[in-house]
Amino acid sequence: MALRAGYLGGCAALAVAALLTAPPAQAQDAAALNAEAAQNDWATHHGTYKSYHYSGLEQINAGNVKNLEVAWMHFPERATRGLQSTPLAVNGVLYYSGSYSRVYALDGATGKTIWTYAPELDEELVAKQTHSPYNRGIAIGQGNLYVGTVDGRVIAVDLKTGKPNWDTKLLDSKKVTVGFTGAPLVVKDMLIIGAQGGEWPGRGPIFGLDTKTGQKKWQFDTVAGTEEAMATWGNDSWRTGGGGGWMPGAYDPETNSVWWGTANPAPLYDWSGADWKKSGPRPGDNLYTTSVIALDPDTGKLKFYHQELPHDAWDFDSAVGEFVMIDRGGKKLVVHANKSGYVFVYDRSNAKIENVWALVKNINFVKGIDPKTGELIGRRDLVAGKADTPLCPAIAGGISWNSGAYSPKTGLYYKIGQEWCMELTVEKTTPILEPMAQLNIGAQFKLVPPPDGPAMGHLDARDPVSGTKKWEVNYKEPPLASVLATAGNLVFVPDAEGVVHAYNAESGQELWSHNNGMGHNAGIISYMAGGKQYIAVPAGWGSLVSDEYIALYGEPFKSMSKNTGALVVFALKQ
Amino acid sequence: MAILWPCLPTRALADQSTSAGSTSPLANAEASPNDINGEQMFATTCGFCHQDGGRAAGRGPKLSKTERSDEFIVERIKKGKLGSMPAFGSVFSDGQIIAILAYIRGLDD
Repeated sequence: MALRAGYLGGCAALAVAALLTAPPAQAQDAAALNAEAAQNDWATHHGTYKSYHYSGLEQINAGNVKNLEVAWMHFPERATRGLQSTPLAVNGVLYYSGSYSRVYALDGATGKTIWTYAPELDEELVAKQTHSPYNRGIAIGQGNLYVGTVDGRVIAVDLKTGKPNWDTKLLDSKKVTVGFTGAPLVVKDMLIIGAQGGEWPGRGPIFGLDTKTGQKKWQFDTVAGTEEAMATWGNDSWRTGGGGGWMPGAYDPETNSVWWGTANPAPLYDWSGADWKKSGPRPGDNLYTTSVIALDPDTGKLKFYHQELPHDAWDFDSAVGEFVMIDRGGKKLVVHANKSGYVFVYDRSNAKIENVWALVKNINFVKGIDPKTGELIGRRDLVAGKADTPLCPAIAGGISWNSGAYSPKTGLYYKIGQEWCMELTVEKTTPILEPMAQLNIGAQFKLVPPPDGPAMGHLDARDPVSGTKKWEVNYKEPPLASVLATAGNLVFVPDAEGVVHAYNAESGQELWSHNNGMGHNAGIISYMAGGKQYIAVPAGWGSLVSDEYIALYGEPFKSMSKNTGALVVFALKQ
Repeated sequence: MAILWPCLPTRALADQSTSAGSTSPLANAEASPNDINGEQMFATTCGFCHQDGGRAAGRGPKLSKTERSDEFIVERIKKGKLGSMPAFGSVFSDGQIIAILAYIRGLDD
């Protein structure tokens, strides 16, 4: 709804004023959170619980996007490793996080700072962490803003004042190495957040906290979290751990289930070959790593799950990938992209496979995945020594951790695919069980182009259930930011070189672009403030995947500034 | 002052037992560099960024034939580089760091 204050008078103006000053908790109504489209607010990481990354706003549209220009910018302090977070917007205020979990509340129309909050972190610990000190997002609800920290805490900040209401230590990060970088998710009066994991010796917990007090209500360990799961880690190899849930999941209110994706087991690479069920560093399926799991948000109890890659031996997490909830043909489905480049389609009531399709072309870690059962066909289980041909995709994945977008208007899913492989030598390593151990990789590797051409990326517009492709845009380097679709028939892609592109959502034709001057590895959103639609995207290069681009592509990445960033907000010319 | 390190049999140790119950490399904190497998340590941790076993640039720079001094490499391993490399000074023992240095110095292109 586009409102122009100049045209309003009397009761209408009062009603608008009431709307714009509504208390934050009121803005978090369940209907809006469960809608297909984010409207005036972008109140949760994935837009709404349906995780479409889709804005219902259409003030900015295919007909006028050529008039889009920078409205205002904000420069955060200490943007080490750039900016990697997805902003939120509620009641005309834009909130976002930067490195060191610093949080900013800004007037959505002008960019004027309302408050900032900079938690004091354990800097000595931060200096020892590889996947640090970036932050990938926040949550809002019950009058608070919530942010995790790399030293193992979750903090609730008062949405109006920026003062901390509670600060809960959940992880002994000095011991387990990892903390929190992913956005939390608010479900009713519960705050849910997953720990980092994958490469470190830990149980990869996901936590449920009371939003009012910060008290821990439950913990689900993604590594051997049940007796059934414990039996899938031979030789007590659960102690080498992995797992975790380092990106936020989604909530399905119809089944009262929180869907979450989990990370890989450690070590990443395994030398047991075809005998992986009985030998090697972690014999067995290694539940619940590289899985999608459905938890009861009230208790943290596991309701059902599907392990996308049993005994993941390639570092192809399920922690990436939004949960796109689509109703089609009487079926309630959820679409989830795995890092391997495959997209899984599930029945939302039980995680039974409805389809599996490949987003990327260069895949050889399996010959295929059965689209009816999800079973891996022709696994390529590695042995110690140099692999005879490069492994595809590379460790950076066929799909990275930022999100795609789904438009209910076009019925298309817009998702970035990555085409690259890597030469690999698997090394037998000694199990890492000790505190503060850094990484557990188990291989030497080098990213190389795939057999069919240079390493590159592409934006695909596909049917999310069948995978049928309608159009594709190619990029010399894979974009690493999230994608935004809007009711204005637009798809926005912030790319690696620093350019934000707007495409016609039906055809893929480029309609507008703007160079922000540094690469993007964050989330792009749209929101309304003062009756005007805005597009907001953090720019600022420096993720672990983006660090690969210097060796792969040279310039402009060799000379691109790291450890800096800016939030750039666009609006139509007046 | 150059750091003295012996010619280490890093590759010769690559086939040692790696069963799930064997000792963590961190438990070897007091072991001499001669007893520590620098190649294995590199593959466990360093290879995530220094690719192809340190022979190629990736997230981190190529290390084979580096012109950096021993002192610089040891210091960098211990203190890291903000936003790029973690500090391993309290994670690895001096012996382990010297074993990694020996592995790097032994690398061919």
